[in-house]
Amino acid sequence: MLELKNLTFTAQNTDVNGKSSIRTIIDNVSYTFEKGKFYAITGPNGSGKTTLAKLIMGINEATSGSVIFEGKEITGLSITDRARAGIAYSFQNPARFKGTTCRDLLAMAAKTDDEKVIVDIITRVGICSLDFLDKPVDSRLSGGEIKKIELATTIALNPKVAIYDEPDTGIDLWTIDPMVKLLKKEQKNHNTTTIVVSHNRAFLEAADVLLLIKDGKIIYRGDLKGALPLLNDFSLCSFTNVCEGELNARCYR
Amino acid sequence: MLDAIDKELLKKVAELEGIPKGAYNIRKNGKLLNREVSANINIETNPQGNGIIITIKPGTKNESVHIPVIVSQAGLNDVVYNNFIIGEDSDVTIIAGCGIHCGSSKDQGHEGIHEFRVGRNAKMKYVEKHVALGDGKGKRSLNPTTKVFLEQDAYAEMELSQIGGVDSANRLNEAELGAGSSMLITERVMTDGNQIATSRNQIILKGDNCKANMISRSVIKGDSIQNFYATLDAQAKCFGHIECDAIIMDNGRNETIPALKAGHPDAELTHEASIGKIANDQLMKLMSLGLTYDEAVNRIIQGFLK
Ligand SMILES: Nc1ncnc2c1ncn2[C@@H]1O[C@H](COP(=O)(O)OP(=O)(O)OP(=O)(O)O)[C@@H](O)[C@H]1O
Ligand SMILES: [Mg+2]
Repeated sequence: MLELKNLTFTAQNTDVNGKSSIRTIIDNVSYTFEKGKFYAITGPNGSGKTTLAKLIMGINEATSGSVIFEGKEITGLSITDRARAGIAYSFQNPARFKGTTCRDLLAMAAKTDDEKVIVDIITRVGICSLDFLDKPVDSRLSGGEIKKIELATTIALNPKVAIYDEPDTGIDLWTIDPMVKLLKKEQKNHNTTTIVVSHNRAFLEAADVLLLIKDGKIIYRGDLKGALPLLNDFSLCSFTNVCEGELNARCYR
Repeated sequence: MLDAIDKELLKKVAELEGIPKGAYNIRKNGKLLNREVSANINIETNPQGNGIIITIKPGTKNESVHIPVIVSQAGLNDVVYNNFIIGEDSDVTIIAGCGIHCGSSKDQGHEGIHEFRVGRNAKMKYVEKHVALGDGKGKRSLNPTTKVFLEQDAYAEMELSQIGGVDSANRLNEAELGAGSSMLITERVMTDGNQIATSRNQIILKGDNCKANMISRSVIKGDSIQNFYATLDAQAKCFGHIECDAIIMDNGRNETIPALKAGHPDAELTHEASIGKIANDQLMKLMSLGLTYDEAVNRIIQGFLK
């Protein structure tokens, strides 16, 4: 239902001497996501996972190749049109606003400000408390809180394809499991094609298909078991709860 | 007694559908149009005859007073001096605001000079909205001044907004805070076209343990200009914060100068200021919820000025 065909994304890099070079971030990726399945995408930091997700959402413009959704070419479509077609993306680093509240975002996603509908969404999401509703989605929210709101807005859209970019970052240990269950439930009840970018084992285990990305290429597709030797090979970190990846120079892996 | 234009202006500045309940004073084209006092709230014309004195009895709770001003007469520049005496331990809301309707090529304006004395332990909320409507080519100007004196443990919350249509605005806010008092000022201004708005704020933190928080939100569209100056002058152990954000659209211009002065070693003063376009990640987020670019811009501005 969602097909990537020779998808490539390059960016211009300028080094300290002012010399510019072209860097390929997503390298000729072809893959077809099937309706209603649960996918996990993992890979080292900087391998291109977020870039790939943003290419699907239309936030990044493909350098070449195409994205085909439900048989229609959408490569040239805007973010708005893709959202209206049923694609949703939960940002790895959600935007923070001044003044705009969680209720505002949910109302935009659900296309109504009906109190009952909004409360129903919060109840359905479960992990997001009702007292979030009238809080501004600004810099005062904690890292975990904003990720929960981000996830709720995606669910409120009732998308056909939901892409969650590291939904578990900043989320406490007690919420990871409910979050996995929630996404599974959404997948089942609404036949949502679910794509979760994550380093967390809980999501990798929950997925029907695991995609492993390295240097902008999909180097593995299949189940978790088959991926284990590869994952060990790259010493992929599965301890993101205690480790901040690249940012944390002294990783305890 | 209220014509259609008056009603529209009243609705815009005071969210009133007709004559308000409780105490009120409606001023139209420089003259008293209608007044009502209540058991606890007195309104009288001042001895100079150029404004009103509003006196709130000590201990008055949960009452409000509306004092809207309408300027619809061509060429009129209405100047008014109002005094507010808020009694000890009271808790009141004052809804002021000025609506200009300009239908001619003559300039019209209003200058409201408001002085507040908020008594010990009293709570005052002051809401002031400014708007100008009409198809006339005359320049509409609004130059409000507020001077606030907070006695011990008093609390004042001021919401000042200029919603649109005002060509020129020069605002001056002054405040002096007594011991244990606190104050929150939120100013929201939107300008467009060739409009100019300047806001000057001078807050003196005089008494021990007083607190001031000044928030300014500006949206600057078209070729308009907004300038914001705020000084926190700490003369005691106190806490003060200025937060000013300006969103620039089109060719808008802005100058923002927050100033902190600590005249006491235990003063704690902070400020945050930002000027810029709407952040890209905010636009992307709303577009990914299905909004068009323009809808996303509108929603972000709406939230920002809410
Ligand atoms: N627009 C761009 N211009 C230049 N470089 C970019 C651009 N977008 C991404 N990159 C680079 O491409 C690489 C891949 O980034 P991406 O965010 O996709 O990684 P990721 O796999 O999501 O990593 P993480 O696990 O840390 O989230 C990074 O090195 C990043 O700096
Ligand atoms: Mg990423």
